[in-house]
Amino acid sequence: MGILSLTIFLPLAGALILLFIPKEKTAALRAVGVAATALAFLVSLIALFLFDPSQPGNELTMRLTEDLAWIPSFNIRYFLGVDGLSFPILLLTTLLSLLAAVYSMNIQVRVKEFYFWYLLLETGMLGVFCALDLFLFYFFWEVTLVPMYFLIGIWGGPKKEYAAIKFFLFTLFGSVFMLLAMLALYFASAPHTFDMMALAKAHASFSREFQIIVFLGFYLGFAVKIPAFPFHTWLPLAHVEAPTGVSVILAGVLLKMGVYGILRVCYTILPAGFEWFLPFFVIIALINIVYGALCAMAQTDMKRMVAYSSINHMGYAMLGIAAVSSTGFAGAALQMITHGLITGALFLLVGVIYDRAHTRDINAFGGLAAKLPVYAGLMSLTCFASLGLPGLAGFISEFLCFLGAFPAWKIYTSIAVIGILVTAAFFLRMLQKVFMGPINEKWAGMSDMDARELFAVVPLAALTVLFGVWPKLLLDMMNPTLSLMARFFPDMFQGLR
Amino acid sequence: MDGLRLLTPEFVLGTLAFLILLADLWIPAKHGKVLFHLALLSTAVGLGMLGLSFSAPAFYQGVGSLWVVDPLSLFFKVLILAATMLSLFLAVDAKRPDDEHLGSFGALMLLSAVGMMLLVSSVDLLLIFLSLELISIPSFILTGFERGDRKSSEGAIKYFLFGAFSTAVTVFGISLFYGATGGTHLLKPLTHYVDAPAPLFLLACLMMLVGFAFKVSMAPFHFWVPDAYEGAPTPVTAFLSVAPKVAGLAMLLRVFTRLIPHASLDLTALFVFLAVLTMTIGNLTALWQTNIKRLLAYSSIAQAGYMLIGFVTADTLGREGVLLYALAYLFMNMGAFAVAVAVGNEEGYELQAYDGLAQRSFGLSMLMTFFLLSLSGIPPMAGFLGKFYLFAAALKGHFYILAFAAVLNSVISVYYYMRVAYHMFFRPARTQAPAKTGLYLYSSLAIAAAGVFAVGLYPEPLLAVIRSSAAMIP
Repeated sequence: MGILSLTIFLPLAGALILLFIPKEKTAALRAVGVAATALAFLVSLIALFLFDPSQPGNELTMRLTEDLAWIPSFNIRYFLGVDGLSFPILLLTTLLSLLAAVYSMNIQVRVKEFYFWYLLLETGMLGVFCALDLFLFYFFWEVTLVPMYFLIGIWGGPKKEYAAIKFFLFTLFGSVFMLLAMLALYFASAPHTFDMMALAKAHASFSREFQIIVFLGFYLGFAVKIPAFPFHTWLPLAHVEAPTGVSVILAGVLLKMGVYGILRVCYTILPAGFEWFLPFFVIIALINIVYGALCAMAQTDMKRMVAYSSINHMGYAMLGIAAVSSTGFAGAALQMITHGLITGALFLLVGVIYDRAHTRDINAFGGLAAKLPVYAGLMSLTCFASLGLPGLAGFISEFLCFLGAFPAWKIYTSIAVIGILVTAAFFLRMLQKVFMGPINEKWAGMSDMDARELFAVVPLAALTVLFGVWPKLLLDMMNPTLSLMARFFPDMFQGLR
Repeated sequence: MDGLRLLTPEFVLGTLAFLILLADLWIPAKHGKVLFHLALLSTAVGLGMLGLSFSAPAFYQGVGSLWVVDPLSLFFKVLILAATMLSLFLAVDAKRPDDEHLGSFGALMLLSAVGMMLLVSSVDLLLIFLSLELISIPSFILTGFERGDRKSSEGAIKYFLFGAFSTAVTVFGISLFYGATGGTHLLKPLTHYVDAPAPLFLLACLMMLVGFAFKVSMAPFHFWVPDAYEGAPTPVTAFLSVAPKVAGLAMLLRVFTRLIPHASLDLTALFVFLAVLTMTIGNLTALWQTNIKRLLAYSSIAQAGYMLIGFVTADTLGREGVLLYALAYLFMNMGAFAVAVAVGNEEGYELQAYDGLAQRSFGLSMLMTFFLLSLSGIPPMAGFLGKFYLFAAALKGHFYILAFAAVLNSVISVYYYMRVAYHMFFRPARTQAPAKTGLYLYSSLAIAAAGVFAVGLYPEPLLAVIRSSAAMIP
């Protein structure tokens, strides 16, 4: 068993062990749940030492590959591998899963089921980022759906049932078209295959019309996940209703599956379809940026605000992709990581205050900085990172996205800068209302963050600072792959260069 | 009558059924369960006989006078007997008003199964008619088996009236067929009629289809399904939802994709329409159901619609898809009904009975969730692979509308399947006592779960079987 399989299936093994522990033994259940995520994280750290980011030659070289025949009748293989695009997201996934699992130790009801679904979800997510066979990719993609449905529906907020089924139906609606698109690719390739690498090599043999139709099928699946306008309506609801730990995973990892899919499948296998769609894609990115930011501005519920800011931040990643240059791709890939870290931390921090005050209304607070200095410090740091303050990770990735997109889409990029302004406005307004001013006496007895919460948030905050001052750590891992990908189609995307 | 030896399993099973019927007279009601075990034993014997047919193909497979035994029919016979066996498992542990006439119950189920086994082998319209009747009459009685229950009687009457009507139309169709071709045998060369179908011939085929559509619950001949399924004793519902349906599909595959190909009758467009109609009506109506048996009834209509995809494409891939889906459907539907029996024994069949089941019987509700997810086609369960196969067949055959409608229907179906999960997981429990399950119920749950996951996770060995089973004579 390879190291990627080990990473993917450790959480599943943990989930199966959980089934044999009586549901009253909550301490043991939590221990197994956290231990499984911790082990997966450790194994992925070991993989970090084995991972070689260089990309010699003109074809994508996958690392840590595992290739087994699975369903030979359809030429379906159990084919795993990572490159500079997927590996950082894999690390992000294991890290966020660990931290959110630790944070979720405050879940009191039905602990067994919680960690069972949670670990199943982690297996699905990790599988998506490692799978190099479309069938396997779809398989893992769908595996993430069901646990999320239960995680939102059982442990969520007041409108949890509606949020859960809406999430399920939206995502499934997108992904069934992905299934059809995938089958179309299979029958169009000769010999028939689901192998992403082989399909990418065969892209020239697909006609432009075919690529456009198949692209739309895949795009529907990915756009719902990103979520790209107009398929974003499930997101604020699901994020707000989900319990804190699950919101972290939802924003930190699940949204990345969409962006990752666009780069991995739509761009590399269907360049002609992608080229055709690009003018629409950049407009959608722009809508995500501006509309997402404006929606966030209008919220008074902190969690809702962060949820809409995710739509806005995913817009930056889409803008970076639309550049089809190594800078833009690097920006998009980096944005996925930094958004995962920053928004993950933001959701955790919102959860911290909600656990104490049972409200997330920004008008209900005031002057908390004096009362909760540690909390105020961490919250300010992550908010500044999210609004793109230089020196913190968010700035680097957003800057690269804009830098990449500007030569290709001057007007759109210029408009998109408005997004940054609005983002700054709503984050600063929140900081001001919650932490500044006279203290609201109602919260005089509020305690600062405890060890569990600090354990979950501090690593994210530290990484945000680290990547803010030294992004090279990540970029060195990503750049060989991304610049190679940007050079894939020298005679296409002419208008952008 | 050539090749009677080909039908040995049917003869043996039929004889055993009559013996059980006789035994019913001598065994007192308080030992009634013995008769169930005899019936179970008979299905095991039947499966053993089928194993014999697999092991000695030269002797037990071939063409008889009105029937053929080929890999396709054998595959479906195994499926039918497996469904019968699992339904009998459920019947042992299901709540009954009394233990009277349990022998007739078992015997009727076996006789109906014999009818289905004959149906999947028939190549003559007369035998098709006879086997349809042999399936139907015991099914009518089984549906109305709970005499004290008015719903049971109502279901039986509706089932009977619809059944009688559609059979009449079918017989009329067969007589027209006889008039057009001068015979009822389907193996003799029909190319003359098929390649340039005369209006009479076409009319004959369409009228025969009515009866067949009734059996597979194809819209718009599905109206009997919910009432019959709701009224029938739950093990019978489980049986009816699987066995006759797959048997009918097998017969449709043989007759209308091979012997009288629907493509050459220019009926393909009609079947595309009917398949889409069947899955859409099934799914849309299921959305409003509050009774688990009715919900599963409409879901079974929709499932038949998916299986019709393979019938429409009529190529090898589609046929294999039907075979695979039928097998997956056996496991997932039987599993879902097993849970329905376990819960229904104490608390009835309204969806409220499932409130908070996850806190009372966690394992049971997890299994139910997996079966329902399999029915909606979510990996890693068997139903996904079946749908994958059928959608692939639709795309390969360029039936894009069909593929489109099928995936949209899969999305719709999740809503009502997950409503059951909503009751099990999201609602508070009204009692804390776990649902009672017996040994037989456990076994059927275990078999169904094992099947659903084995097919979904490692299908390759099975696919080899499916490929070899897709072979037909001629």
